[in-house]
Amino acid sequence: MTAVTTDPLASGTQPGWRRWLRRHGWTVGVWLLLGALIGYYSTLIPAFGSFQVASIVNSGAPLVFLAAAQAVIVIAGGIDLGVGGMLVLTNVTAARFMEGQPFLATLLIAVTIIILAAAVNAGVGWIINVSRVPDIVITLGSLYFFQGLALAVLPNPGGGTSELFRWIFTGSRRGIGSNPYPAIALIAIVILGLAWWLGKTRSGLSLYAVGSNKTAAYLSGIRAARVKIVSYAIGGAFAAMAGLATTAIAGRGNANTVGGNLTLRSVAAIVLGGVALTGGIGSVIAVVPAGLILFFLNPILSAMGVDPNRAQVVQGVLIVLVMMVTGLIEWRRRRTT
Amino acid sequence: MSVDATPALDAGPDPEQQTALRRSGRYLATHPHWVLVFVLIVLILITGMIEPNYLSVSGLRNSALFAAPIGILAAGQTILMLTAGIDLSIAMIATGAAYFAANQSPNGPVLAIVGALVVGIVAGALNGVGVGVFQVNPLIMTLAMSGILLGLFTEWAQTIFAGSTRMNDFIRTLGGGSFFGGRIPWAVVVWATLSLLVVYLLRRSGFGRNLYALGDNTVASRLSGVRSWQVLLAAYTIAGVFGAIAGILLGGRVGAVDLQLAGVFLLPSVAAAVIGGTSIFGGVGTYTGTILGALILAVLNSMLNFLGVGTAVQQMLYGSIIIGLSWLYTRIAATQ
Repeated sequence: MTAVTTDPLASGTQPGWRRWLRRHGWTVGVWLLLGALIGYYSTLIPAFGSFQVASIVNSGAPLVFLAAAQAVIVIAGGIDLGVGGMLVLTNVTAARFMEGQPFLATLLIAVTIIILAAAVNAGVGWIINVSRVPDIVITLGSLYFFQGLALAVLPNPGGGTSELFRWIFTGSRRGIGSNPYPAIALIAIVILGLAWWLGKTRSGLSLYAVGSNKTAAYLSGIRAARVKIVSYAIGGAFAAMAGLATTAIAGRGNANTVGGNLTLRSVAAIVLGGVALTGGIGSVIAVVPAGLILFFLNPILSAMGVDPNRAQVVQGVLIVLVMMVTGLIEWRRRRTT
Repeated sequence: MSVDATPALDAGPDPEQQTALRRSGRYLATHPHWVLVFVLIVLILITGMIEPNYLSVSGLRNSALFAAPIGILAAGQTILMLTAGIDLSIAMIATGAAYFAANQSPNGPVLAIVGALVVGIVAGALNGVGVGVFQVNPLIMTLAMSGILLGLFTEWAQTIFAGSTRMNDFIRTLGGGSFFGGRIPWAVVVWATLSLLVVYLLRRSGFGRNLYALGDNTVASRLSGVRSWQVLLAAYTIAGVFGAIAGILLGGRVGAVDLQLAGVFLLPSVAAAVIGGTSIFGGVGTYTGTILGALILAVLNSMLNFLGVGTAVQQMLYGSIIIGLSWLYTRIAATQ
């Protein structure tokens, strides 16, 4: 959880790499865990190749984008239960309007949906600011609202999209294939862009400032209310990315998907990725492998011959164990320092 | 809640301006529950205008019957939210408890109910150990517990619980039956009894004070000698038991169990506590408010059903009303 602890006193006395490891230890750890899991998976099944990699990346992409959305909002000190609803809403909206359209039209629709989702979620952030009601309550309301709106947009599962649009997210015109590179490139570009903005720009860093201490940030000249709205807007845009990815993979929209469950998985993913739910701490780079791991545990466990229901149990136990270990590390660190 | 605003802190320019309206405004700020009572009455009247038959014993009885499980689940949420916690596994605990009750139903109601309660105690205590002893974030701990229980009961539903989907007649009466000429549901009696217990626990007992203290300031309460892990362990276990009781009532009302039995009640149970003015950050809230929250949600449910607008509009209205009510409540309480 202390992935981004910046301690000016300690930094002068430690060698550079140790300081780097201390700051980014969690990120490195989660990536190594993902690598180890993929390595283990490749020994479990006879034919491990690009098809498996593609299926992991493609199917994991929505959760990765959704976790990134949640991460941005949580880093800025909020929490958005509505992201799952936004995923479902953008999924069905895309599927409804993209059906039968040529590629350029679908691309235009996708951009419009992302902008609209950002605007709508910015409105949610605005309501939180004005009403002074806790984030979790307002976004509980927005979760229901989005889910209901999704049902109104597309009452029955269906819709469609263009083949090239599916290719962007899946590397295949039919949604299934053995070409993981478009999805990897898309995730890399979008997430690295987000990480750069969060970590290197004034506006991005202000999210960390507001998340770790709202009053201090406000007193040092940051417009805390505006930062909250920005974080929700970006969260909305990333939830829309997750929804579009879902449309591309499934080739259709389904308003009966339970958005609440998706939200809960996004929260589990960011916690596994080292983002503190109290705000101000965490990195979106670590959220990517965390989201993939959460998704990836299912195929691993089924390859190990574990019953899918028991796989769910194992997944829950693993999450708890990881959290206990983190708590233990944190506790020991606090005792030594 | 009983503290009146002191005149010394009054920001008004002179006392003459204190009209009756302002005084009543200040009264509402210190007693925000009356706002909820007002909202509840208005909602009941609106529902009565949409469907005149609603304003009858059987109409209101249905709402009360619907409110009981939400209210009992929300009791668990209220207790935990006071400690800055939450239980996302409570609906799965309820479903699991209902499975146990159905499984033991041929062996008589006592075994069935005890078995169900044991599910709640075990799952709740595990949550409590995770949160209290190992300091796992409550959101994550209970979320993981929910996944674990879902996996276990999905598997067991096909193996050891296979075929046991019918509830004992006693439990069916408890969950869906009524007495006094079909006017008062037994489930509401159970809920009322539990409500008295919870209100007493929160207001009068040392345990209740510890809950508030822990949620208000963990460090301060620990320094003043509260063994936080014991309080949390007890709180999560109690929430588990409430989950189990709600599961028994729900299973009894439906008459059969399946894995989706209580899932839809999870977010309403949080919403009821939140509408009732319990802070998600701990230390603030009462069960009386939560009861009103549960009743409002139940009346709302009837209203949306009578409107016949379809699930889409129902969910959108539901979401908007959660936002609107919590906004109103915060606005009124903030003027204090």
